[in-house]
Amino acid sequence: MEYKTIMCDVLVVGAGGAGCRAAIEAAKHNLDVIMISKELLGKAHTAMAEGGYNVSLGNVDPDDNPETHFKDTIVGGNYLNNQHLAEILVRDAPQRIFDLEDMGAVFDRTPEGKIAQRPFGKQSWRRTAYASDRTGSEIMVTLTEAIRKTSVRVFDEVFATKLLVTDGKIAGICAVDLKYGDYLIFRAKSVVMATGGAGRIYKVTSNAQLDVGDGYGMAYEAGCEMIDMEMVQFHPTGMVKPESAKGRLVTEAVRGEGGILLNSEGERFMKRYYPDVMELAGRDQVARSIMTEVLEGRGSPDGGAYLSIAHLPKRIVEFRLESMIEQFEDAGVDIREEPMQVSPTAHHFMGGLKIDENASTNIPGLFASGECTGGVHGGNRLGGNALADTQVFGALSGETAAKYAKENRHLGIDRDAAIKEFERLEAMLQRKDGVSPADARDELTALMWSKVQIFRKEEDMAEAVKELRRIEKEVVPQIKVDVPVKRFNPGWHQAMEFVHMVTTARMVAEAALMRKGNRGAHYRVDADPDETGYYNIVIRKGKDGEMELTKEDLVITKITPP
Amino acid sequence: MTKTIKTRVQRYNPDLDDEPYFQDFDVEYEPGMTVLDALLYIQDKFDSSLAFRWECRGGQCGSCAVRVNGTARIACRTKVEPDEVLILEPLEKLPIIKDLVNDISQVTFRIRRIRPYVARDKLPEQYPEIMHSDSIEKLREIRKCIECSACLSNCPIVAETWDYPGPMIIRQLARLELDPRDVEDRIAMAMNESVYSCTTCKMCTDICPKSIDIPALAVELLRAKAVEAGYPLASGQQGFIDQIKATGRAVPEKKTPLLKEIETEEFLVDNPRGRVAFFTGCLIDYRMQNTGKALIDVLNRNGIDVIVPKEQWCCASPAFRTGDLHTAQDAARRVTEIFEKISEKYDLDTVVVACAGCGKTLREDHRPFIEEQRGEPPMFKVYDMAEYMLDVIGKENIVKPKGEIKMKITYHEPCHLGRGQGVIDQPIELLKMIPGVEYVEDPYKNRCCGAGGGVRAGQRELSQKIATTKKGYIEDTGADMITTECPFCTIQISDILKGTEIKTRYIPDLLAESYRLGDEKE
Ligand SMILES: Cc1cc2nc3c(=O)[nH]c(=O)nc-3n(C[C@H](O)[C@H](O)[C@H](O)COP(=O)(O)OP(=O)(O)OC[C@H]3O[C@@H](n4cnc5c(N)ncnc54)[C@H](O)[C@@H]3O)c2cc1C
Ligand code: SF4
Ligand code: SF4
Ligand code: FES
Repeated sequence: MEYKTIMCDVLVVGAGGAGCRAAIEAAKHNLDVIMISKELLGKAHTAMAEGGYNVSLGNVDPDDNPETHFKDTIVGGNYLNNQHLAEILVRDAPQRIFDLEDMGAVFDRTPEGKIAQRPFGKQSWRRTAYASDRTGSEIMVTLTEAIRKTSVRVFDEVFATKLLVTDGKIAGICAVDLKYGDYLIFRAKSVVMATGGAGRIYKVTSNAQLDVGDGYGMAYEAGCEMIDMEMVQFHPTGMVKPESAKGRLVTEAVRGEGGILLNSEGERFMKRYYPDVMELAGRDQVARSIMTEVLEGRGSPDGGAYLSIAHLPKRIVEFRLESMIEQFEDAGVDIREEPMQVSPTAHHFMGGLKIDENASTNIPGLFASGECTGGVHGGNRLGGNALADTQVFGALSGETAAKYAKENRHLGIDRDAAIKEFERLEAMLQRKDGVSPADARDELTALMWSKVQIFRKEEDMAEAVKELRRIEKEVVPQIKVDVPVKRFNPGWHQAMEFVHMVTTARMVAEAALMRKGNRGAHYRVDADPDETGYYNIVIRKGKDGEMELTKEDLVITKITPP
Repeated sequence: MTKTIKTRVQRYNPDLDDEPYFQDFDVEYEPGMTVLDALLYIQDKFDSSLAFRWECRGGQCGSCAVRVNGTARIACRTKVEPDEVLILEPLEKLPIIKDLVNDISQVTFRIRRIRPYVARDKLPEQYPEIMHSDSIEKLREIRKCIECSACLSNCPIVAETWDYPGPMIIRQLARLELDPRDVEDRIAMAMNESVYSCTTCKMCTDICPKSIDIPALAVELLRAKAVEAGYPLASGQQGFIDQIKATGRAVPEKKTPLLKEIETEEFLVDNPRGRVAFFTGCLIDYRMQNTGKALIDVLNRNGIDVIVPKEQWCCASPAFRTGDLHTAQDAARRVTEIFEKISEKYDLDTVVVACAGCGKTLREDHRPFIEEQRGEPPMFKVYDMAEYMLDVIGKENIVKPKGEIKMKITYHEPCHLGRGQGVIDQPIELLKMIPGVEYVEDPYKNRCCGAGGGVRAGQRELSQKIATTKKGYIEDTGADMITTECPFCTIQISDILKGTEIKTRYIPDLLAESYRLGDEKE
């Protein structure tokens, strides 16, 4: 089996907001840094974020401060957050947004020339900094500019498939160069995982193509502990039509600006669920209300609810929801005149790699940041906190990984394990009979969408777990690539992703099944009312190779749950 | 019944194939389908190894640029036309990795050359850093770029040479120039990066998924700043400017100008159905007098009073394009004043132009400038002549030209007419009304001829190269004659077609000729 080995001090896996920020930070320490990603530089999922970045600058509401930001984050997270991490988030968010400005970011301004801030769901003050409704893009563009200034070596379109561990410590990764199909080993003194979320394990999602959960799968296999995997945020308003746009995000700003939700009878149904806050109830609450309407037969023709902004002056819509107009124009709907059809879409993973205050995982030398980690957001993430997370923990993980690299040497590589990994990938190409990744993926995403969704119940989840175990045993080893070509072959890429999707889905389903009560984004129709649910579920790969789930105590520093 | 669309996709795996080839697929059509949907359909149903890039499916990441029926577009925001064959190819200029996936490393190298980040010599003394909205307003617009590289693919200059970094990167230079924090000399850099090579053809604006007006917001902006900083224009370009300042005409007089030749400014008809003023522009006045007369004749025959003010002034397009804003704005004021007076005197509100460059300048440059200056735009509307005939007079009312012109005729769409003024089909409609004309469509009719933006005047060699590429397209149509609606294009194209059998004509001339031949017949 032929492969090439590439050496570096710090390896960053992922080039979204978190990965880029980590690489920039690590490069400041006179180290050789490599950043790899599945897509081209600058195209990561972070570019899709619209609304903004939460930071208690108090530029608009001077009374805001990190304390309140902390409180909102913990309450929003249903008290499941690791409070150490949440403290770091609110503490560093201001300096990290200033860093972005130092690098050249252009956020919208207040009349005094400071960064402007807008209101966002479940926050005490106007706290969300933004650049129109393309904040994520602004951040991604800035980081791309900044990366081009550093000596960071960018290996884009390189797919990490396995973490290599030597004596329990990180030693490097196995990867495939997607462009030409070569097998690569990256050896590094420390590795930062910044691989993003996994919305794509659901049939309907707002996420980019890349978000399939590779990071969760690889880290789990390597023995990394995972936390809060059952917590998946469904955004209430995704597009319903056309088929290809299904799940694309309809920003919360639509409701923020005064959009109303109607059912097929023209009734503003939120008044029956949350009369005080109506459309501005929490994301999970609105999502459940919409789904209830649909399930009870009052949905729109394509299985959603109507979201209308047509009663507002056109001028306002055109000024503040520019890209929504564009997005629906593509779908043949003029939102200034007609209602949109919307329904919930899988949006964000609160859970992920368990990290400590140094962004370090339980595997020495392996650090992590961004959406692939768990703990910062607890049971539910506030809109705008994820972008802040990418910058705060991105920088932190870059710094701690750099320090670790300075203090440690390259470890030897388990070549047998690496060769076995490459043989596994090669076998997918050679296999004559088997299951195509497209079919396997359709089955998996449909299963998750119907059984481990917004409304969860015991028998559904039990069935999902059973099915996923079967898929893991029977389908995963049978995945085959239709055309045995290594040069840029999307069929092969999907095949490589599939195993990670299955592992990720299993962790979500198993943890969800374990949690008997309602908490955060986890909502059961058959919830045990006596369960407060004040614990975190931690998952690791047991000695016997089986998935091990344990309940752990919450990490509390300041706010004790009621 | 489900409708299928025939999709031809360029396939190429350099490991295995000697050269690219096309493969046809039947794609089931769904209303609202995008090119990306079609590609995903093929990948799912027929061939999972079909290579193309995508991520966000919503025009946010810039991964999915491909050529759709010849022109670069982002696949996820381009609708499939149900009744057309869909031809998908990788971007031009960039090497192919496989199928529709280009190697973009050239772009990466090229962009690194301009130090594409905000270079600062000191950090702010305190945070938050104060920056006012007005200082970043222009910057925000050109910052919407998602680096999809689509615009590079169809830029006529990049097609000829990487000396010019292309629209995306020139835009990045303007973005940095506009950033109050950046300390680099971006103007020197822009000069080094051949900012004067752009023909302002607007292809990039048309392609850009964010509709960024790169020629105006980046190229012309950088040029204006270069002029301000004291960089001299090329002598050919400066010659135009000096002429304009001295005489109100961009070129020197040769034979008697149209405005001197005509005895009156009033060309009136009985029972007019409309009345317009004719803005001749420099070349029709000084070099193409017959075209001017032809236009007056054509309009008169169609029952339109034509007023030709004898005192006219250059629209100063050469100054707008090359960055001499002083001359440019001066001309805008003057032209507005002259035509507002005429409008008042003759009780009209329409100015007709037969030059694509003048029309674009009056509409896209004068109008916003005047509006910004005095809070209200010029009091007259500007129409291109073909647009006026079809959209105002109306096809059913146009007097049919009767003289037969038996020829295979194709059309070159001037950049500043098609993309500059949105006039696309009208000139072709006019051509088709002439008896005997067999119209042959050139799929590349909207490609730049290389004359505009001061390039013919300033960089003859580059201009020639672009024209030579254009010549190939024209010859491929097999037409006997190419028609167009811009004096610059006419001169450029007839130059390049010297030595071939293909004739070059101005549309009003051809139309007038048909009318005349028709008269003779009767
Ligand atoms: C539509 C939408 C709108 C949003 N709006 C907001 C908002 O307004 N405010 C907010 O705070 N949050 C928002 N979010 C959430 C936020 O965008 C994400 O949580 C955040 O961008 C994640 O950044 P990241 O750097 O962790 O990961 P990503 O940006 O997802 O990047 C992951 C990186 O990891 C790489 N990677 C993954 N697997 C591999 C592998 N196997 N090998 C190599 N590389 C790999 C990918 O290639 C990619 O470069 C939004 C999310 C969505 C979907
Ligand atoms: S206007 Fe034309 S020549 Fe200029 S950058 Fe754009 S595409 Fe290239
Ligand atoms: S300017 Fe427009 S077309 Fe060109 S790369 Fe940027 S987004 Fe794409
Ligand atoms: S897929 Fe992101 S721009 Fe088309």
